[in-house]
Amino acid sequence: MNVGDDNPDARSWRKAYGLALSLFAVEVVLLYLFTIRFS
Amino acid sequence: MNRLDYLVLIATILAIPLYGLWRTRGSASLGQYLKGDASIRWATIGLSVLATQAGPITFLSMPGQAYESGIGFIQNYFGQPLALIVVCAVFVPIYQRLKVYTAYQYLGERFDQKTRLLGAFLFLVQRGIAAGITIYAPAIVLSALLGWRLNLTIWLAGGLVIVYTVVGGTKIVSITQRYQMIVILIGMAIAFAVAVYRLAPDLSFEHTLSVAGKMGKLEAVDLSIDPHKRYTFWSGLIGGFFLALSYFGADQSQVQRYLAGGSLKESRLGLLFNAAVKVPMQFFILLLGAIVFMFYQFEKPPVYFNQPAYQRAVESSYGPQLTALQTQFDDVFTQKRAAIRSLADASTTERGAAMTKVQELDAQAHELRNQTKGILAQAGVDPKSKESDYVFITFILQQMPHGLVGLLIAVILCATMSATSAILNALGSTTAIDFYQPLIRPNASDHHYVVAAKALTAAWGLIAIAVASFASLVENLLEAGNILGSVFYGSMLGLFLAGFFIRRVTGSAVFFAALVAQTLVFVLFATTNIGYLWYNFIGCAAVLILAPVLQQTIFRSKDAPAGV
Repeated sequence: MNVGDDNPDARSWRKAYGLALSLFAVEVVLLYLFTIRFS
Repeated sequence: MNRLDYLVLIATILAIPLYGLWRTRGSASLGQYLKGDASIRWATIGLSVLATQAGPITFLSMPGQAYESGIGFIQNYFGQPLALIVVCAVFVPIYQRLKVYTAYQYLGERFDQKTRLLGAFLFLVQRGIAAGITIYAPAIVLSALLGWRLNLTIWLAGGLVIVYTVVGGTKIVSITQRYQMIVILIGMAIAFAVAVYRLAPDLSFEHTLSVAGKMGKLEAVDLSIDPHKRYTFWSGLIGGFFLALSYFGADQSQVQRYLAGGSLKESRLGLLFNAAVKVPMQFFILLLGAIVFMFYQFEKPPVYFNQPAYQRAVESSYGPQLTALQTQFDDVFTQKRAAIRSLADASTTERGAAMTKVQELDAQAHELRNQTKGILAQAGVDPKSKESDYVFITFILQQMPHGLVGLLIAVILCATMSATSAILNALGSTTAIDFYQPLIRPNASDHHYVVAAKALTAAWGLIAIAVASFASLVENLLEAGNILGSVFYGSMLGLFLAGFFIRRVTGSAVFFAALVAQTLVFVLFATTNIGYLWYNFIGCAAVLILAPVLQQTIFRSKDAPAGV
């Protein structure tokens, strides 16, 4: 099973990766805001 | 440390391995010994992966790093969530499909035997040394501050790990790491809470953070593109991505953790758990260091945190110079504390000038500490470790209540045992599967290979203890591990990525490309001052560029196999 597969299992994993990526983006933005606020 | 501390410490570090030994009693097949069994779920895999990476260096050195240089080190982890997603999507399905015990078996399937052995060899050299550093790092600090004998500390921590790792294999490593990581997380959360509680009551927490920020301790994100800066957003994202990709995708000490259990779903969930929690966890550990820094703005810190070494120098002919510096340092500390306190009452217009005064006094204190370090270096004391590694442990020993001191020393030893057990488990497995089985005894029984893997794990444990016993570190403990990894990981990752993504390339082309790439990284390491994270990118890129070039020129006549 690769990331490019189109079966339901592959689609749900792509959603999971998207969620992890979004969470990471939020973490970086929060750290950036933290830097601006306290530096 | 009093009796209560020793009781908590001994109970914690013994109970977890004993429980692990009970859970893994009975004989195991080769598959069970090297990959655990199907009962291992994603939470155990996730905590096991987290514990393998963290190690004692994270908990000893990282708060000290933030105390000294601020929390910018967090950026080194920015590439990690992205790398973990790539490992989940590309590496794990291939390893699971091929049912490999080690990552390097893939190189043998895709290319040839020599490429497999090269990948395994790069891993063994790098991790064999790293295992020694992992044991040595806490031992040198604990023995200096607690008066324990260095070699005894190394043998006790290392010996216990060798015994349970040899007996229980991958399953006991996963089980013990789960509980060790739970102890670590609870211990660090309590330490964080106590550090915040011990901050001066006359400044609010927000004010405290503002002052720490103005003193340069809270710059988490630096968007500078200067390649000579060690920690920037870009070096963390790009260099950190390649470091994490090679560490999680091609380092057997991690591959063995997420292949435990054998299910694709559990492996992926364990890795995604790490993608979600790693950056916040490291942030809180670094922030703890910044909070300890602020604590020592109100409570007078030692001018030099490795106090036993400092005392030795004071008793030498350098004593008068050090005493004079101490007097100046005390005076600057008193002025700085008053200046910080005045910030709380300053109006908005007065705050800028007051802050400038605090910054000037902090620079003076920093300079006095540097002069003290210079004299200690001249006096020839404490040459083997960096002073910032003593900051957090000094805070624990001097400021934490009894019982908690024992728990936090246990945290450091748990981290040592969990990281070391994973490394030894991987070193033993790789030597048995990638070297012993194909080169020495190709057709023996499963039981024979289990015995061989156990013997080789024990042998690597003894090598690690030998490295730890003779180690002399050139940088601080945290940096040493990362630099060592970065020097070897790039070309190792290049082997795997060439296998996954470049279809028309043969083993010989990749093999020689990796040798050239590794030589290039060694030359750059010896002759330039590039931030070390970039070596991961350079080594990997060199393999990916050189391999097709060699394929099209020198190895053109050989048929290229299709990718696996």
